[in-house]
Amino acid sequence: MNCHPITRRESIKKLLKISGGFALTGVMTWPFQKPLSARAGSINQNFIIEGIGQSNEYSVKTLTRKVFEAAGGIRQFISKQDVVVIKPNLSWARPPYLAATTNPEVLEAVVELCQEAGAKKVRIADHTIHDARRCFAITGAGMVAKRTGADLVFPRSSLMRNMKLQGHRLDVWPVFVPLVEADKVINLQVAKVHALSGLTLGMKNWIGAVGGRRSALHQDIHLTIVDLAQFFNPTLTLIDATRIMIANGPSGGSSSDVTVLNRLILSDDPVAADAKAAGFFDFRPQDIGFIRLGHRWGIGTYEFQKLRQHKVII
Amino acid sequence: MSQAFFLILFVFLLVESRLPQDIYLDYSITLTAEQDIDLDYPVKLFFQLNPLIWITSLISGHQWIKGFGWALGIIALTFFSGKVFCGFICPFGTIHHMVSYIRPALKKQSMIYANQKHPSQRFKYFLLILFLVAAMLGLNLTGLLDPIAFLFRSLALAVFPGLGTGIKELFDLAAQSDIKTLNYISYGGEVLVSPVFGYGYKAFKSAWFIGILFLVILFLNRIRPRFWCRTLCPLGALLGVFARFSILRLEKHTEKCTECKLCLESCQGAASPVPGQEWEATECMFCFNCFNACPENAIAFKLGWLPSVSKRPDMGRRAVLGGLVAGISFPFLGRLDGRVHKVSDACLVRPPGSLPEKDFLKLCQRCGLCMKVCPTNAINPALTEAGMAGFWTPNLIMTQGYCEYTCTLCGSVCPTGAIYEFSVKEKIESPIKIGSAYIDRGRCLPWSGNGPCIVCEEHCPTSPKAIRLSEGPVPLPEGKEASAKLPYMDLKICVGCGICEYKCPVRGRPAIRVMAAGESRSLKNQILLKA
Repeated sequence: MNCHPITRRESIKKLLKISGGFALTGVMTWPFQKPLSARAGSINQNFIIEGIGQSNEYSVKTLTRKVFEAAGGIRQFISKQDVVVIKPNLSWARPPYLAATTNPEVLEAVVELCQEAGAKKVRIADHTIHDARRCFAITGAGMVAKRTGADLVFPRSSLMRNMKLQGHRLDVWPVFVPLVEADKVINLQVAKVHALSGLTLGMKNWIGAVGGRRSALHQDIHLTIVDLAQFFNPTLTLIDATRIMIANGPSGGSSSDVTVLNRLILSDDPVAADAKAAGFFDFRPQDIGFIRLGHRWGIGTYEFQKLRQHKVII
Repeated sequence: MSQAFFLILFVFLLVESRLPQDIYLDYSITLTAEQDIDLDYPVKLFFQLNPLIWITSLISGHQWIKGFGWALGIIALTFFSGKVFCGFICPFGTIHHMVSYIRPALKKQSMIYANQKHPSQRFKYFLLILFLVAAMLGLNLTGLLDPIAFLFRSLALAVFPGLGTGIKELFDLAAQSDIKTLNYISYGGEVLVSPVFGYGYKAFKSAWFIGILFLVILFLNRIRPRFWCRTLCPLGALLGVFARFSILRLEKHTEKCTECKLCLESCQGAASPVPGQEWEATECMFCFNCFNACPENAIAFKLGWLPSVSKRPDMGRRAVLGGLVAGISFPFLGRLDGRVHKVSDACLVRPPGSLPEKDFLKLCQRCGLCMKVCPTNAINPALTEAGMAGFWTPNLIMTQGYCEYTCTLCGSVCPTGAIYEFSVKEKIESPIKIGSAYIDRGRCLPWSGNGPCIVCEEHCPTSPKAIRLSEGPVPLPEGKEASAKLPYMDLKICVGCGICEYKCPVRGRPAIRVMAAGESRSLKNQILLKA
């Protein structure tokens, strides 16, 4: 057996070889890594896509796909082997027609798109208000998970962990861990009215991504929304306005509270997406506190007209 | 074998008394309508097998409750072959059997002594007569000591939540660790365990008492084997009355007997199996231990078609008279606190679909099925809210959970119909009100000038909302005045679901609270002239 010790010189040589190899691979792959981060570009390169379903028998799933195509295809945002977490709004144990929760057809289309892009895992996670099992069942998210094979992540107390948000208002707060541990996060919110914040839009969805004394967040709702939006910073924001809740929000409960709009908004700028969606309710973006604050602190811009705009009509 | 089967079945059905785990509903149905979520298994089965619950509900509630055909079958079985229910089916009996005989506390002579018939065995007839007479007079206390209800309550409200709490604490500890593997183990473990022990921490008021009682009853097996079955069980007493006519009987051959008393040593029911004594058909649980133990074949179970009856149940005059007196007194004593006739406790919020209080007390078995099944853990056993008559009956505590607007589970599991079976549509459209909320302006954040809130309005599930907001001036603590969105109650719309109280950020005593006033089951307990 050859068991003479390695000399100092040999070991240095070996170490150099190994580290050199790593350095070389690092240098080689460097140029490929850069375009992967979707939000790396300057603000002018951000986009906002509006999808409109005009024909009577249009399919919500097709519309969702077309919207992503217009943004350059899902592969622009989701890489192979990514762990993607989708954050829909499944807060209420209400059937989809009441527009209190994200349209399951949109959700299904997004899950499928992520899977087609080669995502390693697609997870659907939400910290619901009603009992999570009932919410997942009644909103149709459970069915989506079953059909597509995506994981449904239940808001268990063991998945809430105190984290430093370093916000203007929130410092340490329990956060729903799967959303932090994801490679890519897609915010999939349904547009609704809300008595205090004016509207429930993309950025407000992050209240459903934390634990703790959530009801106390209302005492400074706009600031906490912006803090959370800054912390979670999704890859994409998709606002589901296939049908919107125009009264009795955010829980609704009657089909008379709902208007069918057949629209979707997709953007990589969370503030712009919300600003555009605010228009559906005849609000100016700056009338909504969290949109105004989000703009001021540079999370995005509410001047969505300045972004690369695109319209998809089917 | 059959004992193990029925015990496992019982525990399985107990575990299944929960929100169905199948969350994969086809949403194409729910696109247009509300959908009822039903349980997958007949969780009421053991209650429907129970002749005592059937008879007391029948004579107190004067109604034939659906699904109790099983109980008739058990009575028929008892006419044929005695108390086989006790020896082969009853899950509580099985537990006592296990505790008494797997590691017996008593040996040989002391066991033989303990298995002799004892006058205390008459006590169960006292309880039986008490429950029957009280039921006749409109108070159904059966569930307090009915073995099925007792076991279900003990397991569902004390044993399972107790274990669950311990396990969950362990997982939470692992979840807080910085070691990734421990986090995964914690989440995975919770996924596996929570369907059995419940989602999150379960809490039931006075569950500690239920648990201690259960332990004490189990401990009594060390003093005398199957203590509960012999001395306390009112169901055993009822079946004993019928068992007298049993065709299957113990035949003794005194001439073969060597007085070894092995039969008595193994006797579960203290039913005098020794030849030379008169066999107690009403105490015998048909475990066939004596028959197996006898080395001389001096005793055997035989079918006797002769129209003869075995020995009368030994009740004793004191047990009968005592039972009658107690049975007559309890219902009236129970009404003396005036909760049925004069004024009910403000905090006695019953589950949706509950019958009017008087009828409710005629049927409720306090078994804990509704409490087990409630997905938000709002339903608790009442301690004092419902008075003596309503001890351990269901009561909603809104700081602990709330009544989910489209949930109908408690109605679908109630074995006796004290909570009738209602649909989502009925619950929403009637509407079924369980109480009404009121705002405590002194504690409410916007009303007291302590900042914006509206959480109650946001969570209010009705459409239009029962909690409305109105912009108004409020004096701030520092003396200035500001404008705030102030919540107002619309009592006509409020159903008392309690989500506002549950979600209210004001801890301690929430600023919006639900009381039973306005509940649709009562004509008296109303606030408005016309709801």
